[in-house]
Amino acid sequence: MSLILLLTQQMCVYLVIVYLVSKTPLFKLFAETSKRLPHKIFIYLVFSSFCIMATYFGEQTSGAIANTRAMGAVLGGLLGGPVTGLLVGLTGGLHRYSMGGFTDIACAISTSLEGLSAGMISYYFKKAGKSEMVYQPIVVFGVTFMAEIMQMSIIVLVAKPFDQAWELVKLIAPPMLLINSLGAAMFMSIVRDQKAMFDKLSSSFSTKALKIAERSVGLLSKGFDLESSKKVAQIIIEETQVGAVAITDTTKLLAFIGLGADHHIPNTPISSKITLDAIAQNSVMFADGVDTTYSCSISPNCSLGSSLVIPLRSNDEVIGTIKLYEAKNKLFLNINRTLGEGIARLMSNQILYGRFEQQQSLLMQAEIKLLQAQVNPHFLFNALNTISAIIKRDPQMSKQLLQQLSQFLRINLTRTTGLVTMADELEHIDAYLAIERARFIDKLQVNIDIAMIYHHQKMPAFTLQPLIENAVKHGTSRMLDAGVIDVKATLDGDDLLLNVTDNAGLYQPSNNTDGLGMNLVHKRIQNLFGSQYGIEVECEPDVFTRVSVRLPLKEMDQ
Amino acid sequence: MISCLIIDDEPFARQEVADLLDKHPDIKVLGQCSNAIEALQQINLLKPDLIFVDIQMPRINGMELIAMLNPEQMPRAVFITAFDEYAIKAFDNNAFDYLLKPIDEKRFNQTLDKVRTNMTPQPMTQILPTQLAHLPCYSGNKLKVVATADVEFIVSDVGGIHVCSNKGFSHTQLTLKVLEQKTALFRCHKQYLLAPSAISEIEITDTGAEVTTHSGSKVPVSRRYLRELKQLLGFQ
Repeated sequence: MSLILLLTQQMCVYLVIVYLVSKTPLFKLFAETSKRLPHKIFIYLVFSSFCIMATYFGEQTSGAIANTRAMGAVLGGLLGGPVTGLLVGLTGGLHRYSMGGFTDIACAISTSLEGLSAGMISYYFKKAGKSEMVYQPIVVFGVTFMAEIMQMSIIVLVAKPFDQAWELVKLIAPPMLLINSLGAAMFMSIVRDQKAMFDKLSSSFSTKALKIAERSVGLLSKGFDLESSKKVAQIIIEETQVGAVAITDTTKLLAFIGLGADHHIPNTPISSKITLDAIAQNSVMFADGVDTTYSCSISPNCSLGSSLVIPLRSNDEVIGTIKLYEAKNKLFLNINRTLGEGIARLMSNQILYGRFEQQQSLLMQAEIKLLQAQVNPHFLFNALNTISAIIKRDPQMSKQLLQQLSQFLRINLTRTTGLVTMADELEHIDAYLAIERARFIDKLQVNIDIAMIYHHQKMPAFTLQPLIENAVKHGTSRMLDAGVIDVKATLDGDDLLLNVTDNAGLYQPSNNTDGLGMNLVHKRIQNLFGSQYGIEVECEPDVFTRVSVRLPLKEMDQ
Repeated sequence: MISCLIIDDEPFARQEVADLLDKHPDIKVLGQCSNAIEALQQINLLKPDLIFVDIQMPRINGMELIAMLNPEQMPRAVFITAFDEYAIKAFDNNAFDYLLKPIDEKRFNQTLDKVRTNMTPQPMTQILPTQLAHLPCYSGNKLKVVATADVEFIVSDVGGIHVCSNKGFSHTQLTLKVLEQKTALFRCHKQYLLAPSAISEIEITDTGAEVTTHSGSKVPVSRRYLRELKQLLGFQ
């Protein structure tokens, strides 16, 4: 009975050690199964020393040692695999052998075999995809129990004289079987609990990070300014519960929320050295309030005691910082440090994406502007020539044509890239056609059939007029016979279809600027209204070309 | 007296030139044409000394029109353009006469002075297209343009020059000589031009050979041109 108590005492020493280790980062090594060599060496060292300690602390009993060596060997095997297990067992066994006694050989062999067999079992679980099984205390209990039975058998079989061995086994088997199995199981139970806690912690970390990402998505891509920064800072402080959150660009504070918001005023220049350093060095700065003190540069009464400053980057260039603070009486959590860097990356990406989008849209607008400003020179000079030709013959008409041409050019030069109404487009078309009719007289006939009810329909500026200009330029003006262009507005379900049909049938898909112009109109409509809308071209050579614009028929208040 | 034709697809543009010419009694306007096909016919018919020709015209432009003319009856040409950077550069480089729309009367008069002193047509081969992509044709009274790539063969008879494409026959004002020079068609007979790509079968006959085209027409090949045909097709 006293043997049980003694062994229990030993076991308790181990469990206390394990418990203490479980509070350090080292413990993570127990909780993971890895093939990496450093991990294996760690397992080997820890459990070999367990084995050796077990032998030292063991109780001298009838010329042998009652001990908890099996715990070390079995756990080493289970956590480290067959090779590590064997090595742990061998180390413990050889050490035991060096201590002498009539069971020295039996103990050396059995400890090695214990490590090996536990390793084999761990290997088996791994192969079967059940590696979690080695963390089950009940399994560990069973494995250790069997291992100890094996050890006892070996002692009986190997140790001489047999009688003495038999007597010894009768004495030590029950306590050793019980305590070793129990100890190993409890050890693993601590590992398992700690592992579960760790998983829970990282999952809460991930949840937090995801939540911040989800809540802040799209905010910064619209622009990195006072308003968006304030919203993001609010989200971060709500999700991380830190003392305060600040966001800066490279020169001034954009947002400050939390403790000390009374004297950290947004839209003022950056005052803290640590922030300026982070910007200048493009690196993360951390004043933990212990080794590196943080003291507010504005107010001596500021209650903030630690600060983490992370640069926001756009293509490696610092464009601002995000700062997390804790109060003087609070510890800056490690988790918030990691989270902070993640948030900074998230924000950087969003800002970058926003800038990219903005540039794209600017580029598109510039392209549209450029195309619009490019009045077809042929059209312009021919128009002027027509006016010049009739100026003496019909001054009234030439005056009118000059008015129409001015009107056309004015619309071209001043119209925005936004939405206009059908009536606006028709005005542009009228001015254009007045001139083309004068140029081609009876060789051009344009029939516009668009009911009044559609005159309020909104569409991107320069949707319809360029199509009619194209129909003239690439269609009817190239015909030997008279050209006819029909412009129609029809309903197709909830969509409005605008058809521009010429009787030339000379359409050829091209990469020139006219094609580009049509593509731009198409893209713009799709961007505004969705991919089911846009432009389609249908052509029967020498018979007709029909360009159809599909628009959503509804009030659009953009 | 200098006779001239005005060729432009815009009525007021033609009118403008005619109005400007009113002040020059030594120049007589024979007529106006609204496209290159009409112009080709009128030039062949009226043989003007001078043409005012707009570059930008439907289907066949002013440059192509000049390229289609027989060198013997080439009139002196003054180009007119609204806007054509490349052509203008070429005109300037070669000192060819051209006018910009709207036409400046002073420049118009200077151009006429230059023309009067030298009526010889300027050699323009370097700026003209070497190959004709389209052939101006008539089908009955209707003007049409046949893509050169669609032509199988061209035959000349007492009725004129006939272009046979995969869409049927039509009549053209162009001469066999111009067609031979400015298209990929080759001479296979005194009266025939043949597109090598249209050949489906060749049958050797007493007089040379007979080619069957893809659309089933028969084209004679005289002995004189048979060797060339064989070479063209890679025989011997």
